[in-house]
Amino acid sequence: MAQNKGIVEKLDDELYDEDEEDAQKDKYLTFHLAKEDYGIEIRFVTEIIGIQRITKVPDMPDFVRGVINLRGKIIPVIDVRTRFRLEPKEYDDRTCIIVVNINDMAVGLVVDEVSEVANIPEDQVEPPPRTGRGDRGRFIKGMGKMEEDVKIILDVSRLLYDEELEMLKGAAPAKEKKRATAG
Amino acid sequence: MVEQLEPAVIELGQSCGHVNCWETMECGNDICVRYGKEIEFPCWLHVGYVESALGSCIGGATRQDCLNCKVFQLINGDSQTLNAIFRLFHSMKGSAGFLELENICGVAHAAENLLDLVRSGGIWIRPQHVDLLCTTCDFTKDALDYLQDNLSDKGMAEDARLVRDNLTEAIKQANDALDAGRKTYLTKDGAKEPEEERTADSMQENTSSEKEFLITTQMVEHFVQEADELLQAFEQGLLKWINSIDDMEILGDLLRNIHSFKGNCGFFGYVDLEMLSNKIETIMDAVKEKANVDKHKAAKVMLELVDVLRTAMFDISNEGAGAISNLPLYLELIESLLPKGWLVTPGKEKGSLFLGDLLIEQGSVSPKEIQIALEEQRKPLGDILVKKGVVTKRQVQEALKKQKEARSMMTVAPVIEKKVKVAPKDVLKRQDIRVNLTKLDSLINLIGELVIAEKVVVNNNDLHDLQLDNFNKAAQQMDKIVRELQEMAMVIRMIPVSGLFRRMIRLVHDLGAKSKKRVVLKLSGEETEVDKSVIETITDPLVHLIRNSIDHGIEPQKERRKAGKPDEGTVRLTARHEEGEVWIIIEDDGKGLDRQKIIEKAISKGLIEGDGSELSDKQVFSLVFQPGFSTADKVTDISGRGVGMDVVKQNLKKIQGKIDIQSRQGVGTKVTLRIPLTLAIIEGMLVRVGKSKCILPILSIQETFRQDSNKIIVSPDGQEIVRLREEFIPILRLHEVLRTEPDYHKFKDGILIVFEAHEKKACLFVDEILGQQQTVIKGLSSYIGNVKGVSGCTILGNGEVSLILDAGTLVYLAEKQEDNNRTVMKGGE
Repeated sequence: MAQNKGIVEKLDDELYDEDEEDAQKDKYLTFHLAKEDYGIEIRFVTEIIGIQRITKVPDMPDFVRGVINLRGKIIPVIDVRTRFRLEPKEYDDRTCIIVVNINDMAVGLVVDEVSEVANIPEDQVEPPPRTGRGDRGRFIKGMGKMEEDVKIILDVSRLLYDEELEMLKGAAPAKEKKRATAG
Repeated sequence: MVEQLEPAVIELGQSCGHVNCWETMECGNDICVRYGKEIEFPCWLHVGYVESALGSCIGGATRQDCLNCKVFQLINGDSQTLNAIFRLFHSMKGSAGFLELENICGVAHAAENLLDLVRSGGIWIRPQHVDLLCTTCDFTKDALDYLQDNLSDKGMAEDARLVRDNLTEAIKQANDALDAGRKTYLTKDGAKEPEEERTADSMQENTSSEKEFLITTQMVEHFVQEADELLQAFEQGLLKWINSIDDMEILGDLLRNIHSFKGNCGFFGYVDLEMLSNKIETIMDAVKEKANVDKHKAAKVMLELVDVLRTAMFDISNEGAGAISNLPLYLELIESLLPKGWLVTPGKEKGSLFLGDLLIEQGSVSPKEIQIALEEQRKPLGDILVKKGVVTKRQVQEALKKQKEARSMMTVAPVIEKKVKVAPKDVLKRQDIRVNLTKLDSLINLIGELVIAEKVVVNNNDLHDLQLDNFNKAAQQMDKIVRELQEMAMVIRMIPVSGLFRRMIRLVHDLGAKSKKRVVLKLSGEETEVDKSVIETITDPLVHLIRNSIDHGIEPQKERRKAGKPDEGTVRLTARHEEGEVWIIIEDDGKGLDRQKIIEKAISKGLIEGDGSELSDKQVFSLVFQPGFSTADKVTDISGRGVGMDVVKQNLKKIQGKIDIQSRQGVGTKVTLRIPLTLAIIEGMLVRVGKSKCILPILSIQETFRQDSNKIIVSPDGQEIVRLREEFIPILRLHEVLRTEPDYHKFKDGILIVFEAHEKKACLFVDEILGQQQTVIKGLSSYIGNVKGVSGCTILGNGEVSLILDAGTLVYLAEKQEDNNRTVMKGGE
């Protein structure tokens, strides 16, 4: 009981210092995609919304699904499955859009299913394994160990930007590209 | 403040002429020392006017005559402008000194010295002086930026020293030239006026001539508002102070308030107000310095005086001169409060402006010496001269008579001027409040969202097929209000272009100097208001266009003479409302665009085919917007790389603007930037292709029609062309642009929309037209960046996002297709 109370108090404290970086440290939003569990740092996440109608934008890389209306704001949406070159899956009522905010720019990430907010201490995070296969490893920031489970921790900014995207945007003037990278 | 400074400096430089006095005055007095000689310094002042008994000029008897002399004014530039600059530097120095920003204060002081020399006729303003003053402005701007970040100007010490040294050097040079001039031209050894007398003298003039100005009604409005705030703060502070009479903090506040008030009054030339507030400041200062003052009595008197100041302010807001009747009475009242001997050394306030005080501070003179000097100075100049035996009494009397006449003229003129300048009363009573821009932006964003939310409610799918008479009525009413609200929001963001235009004055000056051409910038329509974001977006384009005008347009002086044009090139910058847009026009009287050269270049770059003779002027001129396109033979450090016009085009595109170029070889070029009035809303046509809905701006649509497929001509390379009356228009299938699946492939099932952009027409094939609607433009996320054929997006009534098509790029796409890109496109059919 006493222990429990301790936890509650701790949680309360964390809620109050929500803005402080410390409170968000080691916290990851985990989600399910295909057969694996992934995590992204909680400080990037602004909200989670259900799937909604996405307006297609022409001439975009395939993983950029289009744009949605988030309470009057237009935000682009990325399909993480397509990004990882996994089999596409029909969106269903479990499909979620995780809205992340990087450099003051909101982007939605479509995932199969959101699981929980997990606490993975720094010493439980291993560097990404060096795999010879493919270049998908570049999105991985580390492997988070949670007892038996392993969460693949993603590098959010890599997920949004990389050479591939830049190349596809090659048609855009250099200035635009630079701005896009800068955020 | 700094913003006003720079244009004024340049204006002054431009108003300085190079004239010879004996020619301008048609003076036949050939025994005059100046006659027939070009003298390196502007006027008699230092070769001696009558009162100093050195000169032989028959035009001026006193110093005042000299200062009023036509020649002096022609050479020394517009005295009003000069005074305005002087005042600006002076208040800058004052504020900086008050805040203990030594570096800024020092630089402003040096600049003031230079200006003083100019004003007193010590030097001609040369281009290098104007440059110097511009550098000073730059320094000030930098220092202010630095100040904002670091709350101190300590880090600017190095820069400050540099600027100050330059200024001092210029002053020294001028003084040397002056001395040399004296030696050369004067037989008699000039009875040099003591330096301090001259400065003190000009200080007096400063106050007496304070009423001639460049002050606009708008400035007066601001002044009245600000002064009112200050007075109110002062009054409240006083009331607080009465209750806790020893609180130094309140006292400090009071001092600051009254000091700013005094500064403002001084700047606007309300002498009475300045004097009274100065006295109040003195008394506050005395209290602060723990002098023997009856504080309670002082507070009471001051409260009364606040009322007096208020009355005067009221007078000003009613076009009065802000005069205070019974002023001496009030002054006496205050003086009676002060302990004896306090007034003798009034210069204890920080940043003292009197030379004498500064000298005492430096320790180079004792207060007593100054006192004696001041005593002497107070005597009429004539008396001193008579005493010295340099003039006779009669001469002085004659001179004084003239002076009196001149002075009476002087005092009448500004009053008349002022009456003309001050606009109707109701303008003055306008009330402004300063609002944080972020607050304003979020308000406007919220209103934007409200508009969308309102559409979502009224067009809600749940209401479909319901009988809702009352609801519809209410909805209509709401729609009207929301629309008005949005219009208001747009108006709030509108600011006049004058700030932007005035910045260009400096640019023109610098570029003119760099390319060794004489160029004047003429501004008109500065009061035209445009959206704030427009100002931000067109700043760069304006800079590039003006650069082009000066570097490429305006010819060197020799060529201009040959072409029979005035030596001075003119660049005209105009803003005005036209055809529901704001037009910003940049016009020069240079050599114009060289059509042939552009065509040659375009052919060599492969931009056009054939010899280009069939192209209209407009089409030819639009080629200059191609990135990397330049006909310049050599790249200068101003321009020539062909980047500028691309910037112009890109920026204008961002705000849905258009550019027109008109040019006649040898006569000049006129570039018109056409900017839509409201940026955020457009009237759009909602069209559908397959499942996608898009908006096409209604302004670009010309007509819509259905056509049988067999009436469509297909060129050998697969381009579909429709014949509309006498024209052949290329067809663009929207689904190909959007890469979606349409409902109809056959032309007879869907509908064709003819639209125009950049003087070219194209035809868009869509499945269906859904209707017309007002749309709030939203940008696609910066993550997505620029999308071909799409200028932004909007949120529809049902909350769905819909893309807004960009007629400009669509026309371009349709044309591209014509080239031969059809092979890929055909796959879609």
